[in-house]
Amino acid sequence: MEHAAFLSYLTPGERVYIQDIQADESTRQRLHAMGLHRGREVQLIRRARFGGPLQIRVGSVTLILRRREAGYVKVSRCL
Amino acid sequence: MRTVALIGMPNTGKSTFFNRLTGASTRTGNWPGVTVDLKSAKILLGAEMVEVIDLPGIYDLQGYSDDERVVRDFLTHNSVDLVCLILNATQLDHQLSLALQFSRLDVDMLVLLNMADEARQLGMQIDTELLSKVLGSETRLLSARRGDGFPQSKDAITQHLRQATPVQLGAAVSDFGIIDALSGEVEALYKRSVQAPSILTPGITERIDRVLLHPWLGLPLFFLFMFLVFQAVYTLGTPLQDGVAWLLDGFKQVALEPLAPHIPRVVYGLLVNGVYDGVGTVASFVPVIILFFFMMSLIEDSGYLSRAAFLMDNLMSRLGLDGRGFVMLLMGFGCNVPALMGTRVMRSRALRLLTMLVIPFSLCSARLQVFVFMTTALFTPHQAPLVLFSLYMVSFLAVLLSALLIKGRLHSNEPFVLELPPYRLPQLRQVYFRGWHEVRHFLHRASKFIIAGVVIVWFLTHYPVASPPGGPDSFAGMLGQFLQPVLSPIGISAQMAVILVFGFIAKEIVLGSLVAMTGLQGAALSGYLSGHLSWVQGYSLMLFILLYTPCLSTVATMRSESRSLRYTAFSVVWALGVAWIFSFAFYQIAQRF
Repeated sequence: MEHAAFLSYLTPGERVYIQDIQADESTRQRLHAMGLHRGREVQLIRRARFGGPLQIRVGSVTLILRRREAGYVKVSRCL
Repeated sequence: MRTVALIGMPNTGKSTFFNRLTGASTRTGNWPGVTVDLKSAKILLGAEMVEVIDLPGIYDLQGYSDDERVVRDFLTHNSVDLVCLILNATQLDHQLSLALQFSRLDVDMLVLLNMADEARQLGMQIDTELLSKVLGSETRLLSARRGDGFPQSKDAITQHLRQATPVQLGAAVSDFGIIDALSGEVEALYKRSVQAPSILTPGITERIDRVLLHPWLGLPLFFLFMFLVFQAVYTLGTPLQDGVAWLLDGFKQVALEPLAPHIPRVVYGLLVNGVYDGVGTVASFVPVIILFFFMMSLIEDSGYLSRAAFLMDNLMSRLGLDGRGFVMLLMGFGCNVPALMGTRVMRSRALRLLTMLVIPFSLCSARLQVFVFMTTALFTPHQAPLVLFSLYMVSFLAVLLSALLIKGRLHSNEPFVLELPPYRLPQLRQVYFRGWHEVRHFLHRASKFIIAGVVIVWFLTHYPVASPPGGPDSFAGMLGQFLQPVLSPIGISAQMAVILVFGFIAKEIVLGSLVAMTGLQGAALSGYLSGHLSWVQGYSLMLFILLYTPCLSTVATMRSESRSLRYTAFSVVWALGVAWIFSFAFYQIAQRF
């Protein structure tokens, strides 16, 4: 993964940095409040089966979020 | 009176601290500018009475969720002497943003870094002096669960209040800077004030998650746990329930019945046969409800509930619901009332209303008791369990169809992002406080409603002609006649219609009212039922009982939780409609075979 991709496409265990959140203002604000914002390191821990939510780790916090929300988060392997 | 506002992110142990600080003396009440009840308590600190308010957990003072609005509205319209900000010491990389937001407000603040014991175990070192300086507010370590640092924190609050002046923040709460600008500041402050091992080891929580969130094992384990919880509640609860019923009946025989000759018959009938028996029937369910609440707060405290949401979210999202909604539906199989109250964790109102609309279709324990009796009376021992199972399936079907039909109108765009807290051993103290608080809330509401309901039913069945109670010449009987045009297409006779009126108050009264109406008990009543109802009529009646309004307590809870009379009325009408259509379809089709 040389160039940017979205959080929703990661494989479990992968660590990446957030480049951008491409969503409307209120979603962006919500994700920001949960610690998802530019520059943060994120690790995908696991996915629920059949396209269910993702479990991720951001800093000291473990979050679950739907694939739709993960699709807003643009990430890349380096800062 | 001084006012202290407790503020913090969800899962920081804010309520644990609140309970420790205030003991059991909490109340819920209204506050200016705020539309939901807030938990608060008055305590004596130093020489002054202080009111402590436990505000909902928020991630951000500027956010758009209901909870965030509540906190903003509270601070806008009420004056506070001290903001006590509780942060999770192990997650300061996230939580300092809230502290920085509050440090820009012109209000006295005390910052408590809770779960200091966990932070120490993780090898973190926190420079509270530096934090105090940068935030401009005293910052101290605390472990609200274990009590370390608690007396000092309490003293600190008392000290602050000695010099504090009440501040009403007004519009200042809503307009300060853009949150993006803070993130750099948060990172810089975190790096300076916290020393943490560069990689936090996965630890016990990740190891447990590997099993409990396992792609194949996760769901079966979840269902097994739920099954065990129900088993525990009813194995422990049923003897207690019988015990309470026995005590109430004993008291009636010893203390109340001897009074009968000395007071007017009408008064005795109303007070003893009406109020006492009616309230007693409901009271006998209190032990089960208490156990249920304690079990739920046990699971909640352990951190497993949000895992269940992870496991079930995919299926539920197709119904316009989410993972937490499934947990509430399961709780509804015990009792719909706590399940409705549990939807408070949802942040989007549309999502919450949709979830509350489908919860009453969960076949609760009170309905189960009616169905067990009726299936045994109307079907062979081989058929009965299958019939019962089919009712559970219908219950799911009604949830499914309702959610699919309504989800377009109660559409929620709220992003689904949920924190998974680490697993923790539930603390009995916390479970006790949570459970007890909910139980008191339930009793308070239920008692108001049920006494009124019982008095009305007694009146309807005893006037103008009382023999037999609920017979064709009583008001209830007339009501049954009146309802015939609606009920005969689904195979329910005028007499059985009266039972549905009773069942509206509480399903617990259904069997009792059958007894009162027919004057028969046990096997004789079973014989009466099988003689008067064909199996098709019986099943149609059970379908209706399963799906229409569960009980007045549910309606009352619906009203107080939704704060909308219109929505409550809609949910009652919706349930009646669904019940009638299911019964009608079944009765009309089954009759032709």
